[in-house]
Amino acid sequence: MKTFLAAFVILLLGSTPAWAVLGEYENSVTTDQQHLHAQLRETARQGYSVKQLSSADGRTVTEYVSPDGLVFGLSWQGPTLPDLRQLLGSYFGQLQQAAQSRRQHHGPLVVRTKNFVLESGGHMRSFHGRAYAPGLLPAGLSAEVIR
Amino acid sequence: MRLRQPWLEKFALYSLLPAMVLGLSGCGGSSSSSTSTTPPTPVNNTQAVEVNFGPANNYTNGLFTDVTICVPGTTNCQTIPNVLVDSGAEGLRLLSSAVTLTLPTVTDNSSNTLQECYGFADGSYVWGPVAGADIQMAGEKASSVPIQLISDSSQFPVPSACTSGGGSNENTVAALGANGILGIGNFRQDCGSGCASTSNPQALYYLCPNSVCQVASVPLAYQLQNPVWMFPQDNNGVLISLPAIPDTGAQTVPGSLIFGIGTQTDNALGSAQVYTTDASGDFQAVYNNIAYSNSYIDSGSNALYFLDSGTLGIPDCTDNPGWYCPGSTVSYTVTNTGLNGTSGPVSFNIANADALFLANSGNNAAFNNLGADSGTGTSSDYVDYGLPFFYGRNVFVGIENQPGPNGAVGPYWAY
Repeated sequence: MKTFLAAFVILLLGSTPAWAVLGEYENSVTTDQQHLHAQLRETARQGYSVKQLSSADGRTVTEYVSPDGLVFGLSWQGPTLPDLRQLLGSYFGQLQQAAQSRRQHHGPLVVRTKNFVLESGGHMRSFHGRAYAPGLLPAGLSAEVIR
Repeated sequence: MRLRQPWLEKFALYSLLPAMVLGLSGCGGSSSSSTSTTPPTPVNNTQAVEVNFGPANNYTNGLFTDVTICVPGTTNCQTIPNVLVDSGAEGLRLLSSAVTLTLPTVTDNSSNTLQECYGFADGSYVWGPVAGADIQMAGEKASSVPIQLISDSSQFPVPSACTSGGGSNENTVAALGANGILGIGNFRQDCGSGCASTSNPQALYYLCPNSVCQVASVPLAYQLQNPVWMFPQDNNGVLISLPAIPDTGAQTVPGSLIFGIGTQTDNALGSAQVYTTDASGDFQAVYNNIAYSNSYIDSGSNALYFLDSGTLGIPDCTDNPGWYCPGSTVSYTVTNTGLNGTSGPVSFNIANADALFLANSGNNAAFNNLGADSGTGTSSDYVDYGLPFFYGRNVFVGIENQPGPNGAVGPYWAY
């Protein structure tokens, strides 16, 4: 009962941000009930905007959005991995393909293809990484902004 | 003592089979097992370890050992060979297919067995029930330790959150490359307070009533435990000692996993410097005037995962993707700084991985100069010092809240 009450209170106090998906428009995604506990912070930068979601279990996901609302990159940190299936959307298949076909490596994962880059490292209690679609970067913007 | 009485009351719903209850209440109830007034008689604290290809015959830079498990409180025991020694994790996880003993499982009061999903940075994961076992290594014994049995059946479907990293279910020898993982890292539990939270527990532990798995909040004592801190003595950390190896690699490398730090004549810090870590086990590494603040040492990573080819100015391999293949061996120096301000340089080499893998007709499993891509320059905020870091060094792993020599208290590294 206590667990239920605590979650309910946070739900009322917190905002209800939508979690955007890589390669999609931020207003095209539906609110994810699982992540309602997140707090949202938005920052405008030169040529793009940054949307940072911090969830109550200590995870942070930062989304990088172009002026026309397209999510071109995201980064994460936290004690566990975020839900990459949800965050990567149609790119998740590329992650699966790379992760499941990889041989010999035991450590961080790097995926580099023409249209998708993902870097995932760390260990339990401290995971961090980023992903982006090189073809969706706003003109003149370096992937280094995604961090 | 983090596990206070109110927690125990709140989590009274958790129960264990009798043998487990005894052991775990002992673990949760004593403030520290290192406070006994009479020093214990020294026991054999040296466990043999070896770098080799492992049971799937294809592991590069994997450190393996044998672990003996017993039904709690009995002499009904089994020795599991080829368990990977992982300083970047906590707890013992064994392929259920490798375990012939029937171990008591950890359940709630409705007899639902506690399940765990443990994920890795590369998206791979292990899934399966939590059971209790006595763990014996060298002359040390930890009683009634929660361990994970990696499930090879589909009794409970793997929760979607467990597969959202995109990697494989490592529930076979072929997938895991080992019969299990022995986590002897910087912490007492694999998860800690984040999984004991009642309002927003991290998604590691699950209960599956009616075969529907839901995230469960689990008090510290019922989480997977680093067995070392549950030893009656030599319980403040470990020393991993591997000899230096030739730059062309070695077929096998024998070494020692020594329990305790400064507790016996064989595990004194000596000239090793103590680098304390943050609450997550990370410290700062500076390379080329750029600080990488989430850096870590991890015997379970099998290379020096260090930046990317563009930043380092060396090519990736063509035959073996993701590894570095410089035309000739390159030396790097990185400065590590602990939270306690201890700072010192670490030098290592990165050689041509294509050539390394071909040396000695491809029979070498150990390399001190194997480097791999971990991320792009300033956006990557860590250096992962994998097993190559350990060759030719004494590396001490200090466990959280456990007092060590010279006032050192874990989590820390010393080398």
